[in-house]
Amino acid sequence: METTWHGPYRPAFWRAFWTNAILAPRTSLGFMRVDFVLGTIFVIPLTQMVFFAFVVQLGNGGAAQIAFTAVGNAVATVTYSSVFSVCQTTDTEKQQGTMEHLLVSPANRIALYLGRGLIPILISFATVTVGLAYAALLFGVSIPLSTVPGLAVSVVLTAMAMVGFGLLLGGVALYLRTSIILGNIFLFIGLLLSGVNFPVTNLPVPLQYLGDALPLTWGLSAIRGAIAGDSLGALGVLWSAVALSGLVSVGLAMALWGFFERRALATGSIARF
Amino acid sequence: MTLASASVSRTRATGASVRLAILLFVADPQWLVPSTIAPIVFGLVSFELFRGEGPYFLTYAILGAGMMSMWGQTLYGSGWATGQDRFLGTLEPTIQAPAPYLYVVLGRIIWNVVAGLFGGLIVYLVVVIAAGGPPQLPNPLLFVVLFVFVMVTLASVGVVFAAAFVYSRYAGFIQNVGEFAFYIGTGCMFPVVLLPFWTNPIALLFPPTWALDALRYVSIPGYTGFAWGWGWDLFGAVAVTAVYAAVAGTVFDRVERHVLESGQLSDY
Repeated sequence: METTWHGPYRPAFWRAFWTNAILAPRTSLGFMRVDFVLGTIFVIPLTQMVFFAFVVQLGNGGAAQIAFTAVGNAVATVTYSSVFSVCQTTDTEKQQGTMEHLLVSPANRIALYLGRGLIPILISFATVTVGLAYAALLFGVSIPLSTVPGLAVSVVLTAMAMVGFGLLLGGVALYLRTSIILGNIFLFIGLLLSGVNFPVTNLPVPLQYLGDALPLTWGLSAIRGAIAGDSLGALGVLWSAVALSGLVSVGLAMALWGFFERRALATGSIARF
Repeated sequence: MTLASASVSRTRATGASVRLAILLFVADPQWLVPSTIAPIVFGLVSFELFRGEGPYFLTYAILGAGMMSMWGQTLYGSGWATGQDRFLGTLEPTIQAPAPYLYVVLGRIIWNVVAGLFGGLIVYLVVVIAAGGPPQLPNPLLFVVLFVFVMVTLASVGVVFAAAFVYSRYAGFIQNVGEFAFYIGTGCMFPVVLLPFWTNPIALLFPPTWALDALRYVSIPGYTGFAWGWGWDLFGAVAVTAVYAAVAGTVFDRVERHVLESGQLSDY
């Protein structure tokens, strides 16, 4: 059989990547309609920020605490599109009966899963951007123009790291009967452990360590640092932490998918819902 | 052989629906967990935000978190009752059955109210353990009675949602996107009077808003809610709940007739 050398360009890889990037939002990710996406980007951040702003107001918190909470929740809403949706893909594949076909497909797994993450990354980026716009316009958060470049880098890195984390949870969910509990836990746990509504130092030390394991904690620190006008050196450290948490998540996700795929093919049981 | 009367048939349909809901819950009780995670987190976050503000702020946190849990179980469970039928392919046969669909949904809602109380209890225990003790309640008996009544008001909203969701395949999405809006609009964690005044009439369209205000009046000394006090709150809650029940009955009737005429129910 004649083999064809494609050089650094690998058509099969990119075909798998783009096919998943385009099809996954309409199938396993559940972003079937534009109004779904618009609701996620424009409605959820606003209502979540307003809710916690009033909770702070009831607790006699001042403008500074409301601004702190507003930024935290603007970023935390990224979990809906990045973690919850991406994590649910495994369930959807099982429910729709496509998991078996996926597992026996020769498609490159990295292309397949990274492709799936493309649209969630874009939606996550948009969600955080809109959330921060609300924070500036409605909650008195000062975002000087000079901080925008650093902020943009922080937001992009956070969106990518969070989607990587969603892929990791999707990998864990492959072994579970349902991923809805996992999805719900990580949809909201960041509100408590990642410094969204109050500084992480208020938490007991063991919970601080748990928070450090979440990409949201580092992403939020980088975004707060960028808004505060931190130096490039200080931001660089936080950016590295965000990128590292995202890379570790994706690496673990690939390892888990590989492990559970082999197990599924050997036992023929995991793909069942 | 005698034919059962309509009322016997309907009671039997509701009874069977309750039984099936219980069996499904017992077979897979993990479904209680998703509706308790968010309230526990919100309760703990609120407790931290209220720290040092006085003993009754713990009541705010517990009441709000407990309400969210029951809200999730009761409202979402009831609203999703139709979506689940649609997903499992049992919606058409159920609607074709002689007993009106409303009585089938009613059975699920009754069980969801009970499951909602379980969820509320779990949230209460977790937040109390984190806070180091239970909240101070001036009138515990009245609190419990009103708490159960709040569940009934939540269920009434759930019935209307269930009826509306016969038409829509976007039930889950609407519930997710509207989650915080409901928490804000009904004053789950804070009094509705904190919101801009123009929002208050909208908030009063929801039965839980009235019931929650009454509940806070009897459990938080010095509470400032609606100026008319908890007696009128209770009256308003009963009245609006009755309106919801009537609306739900009418909507279900029309929805059933419409889907039978149009034959588009299975479009998913």
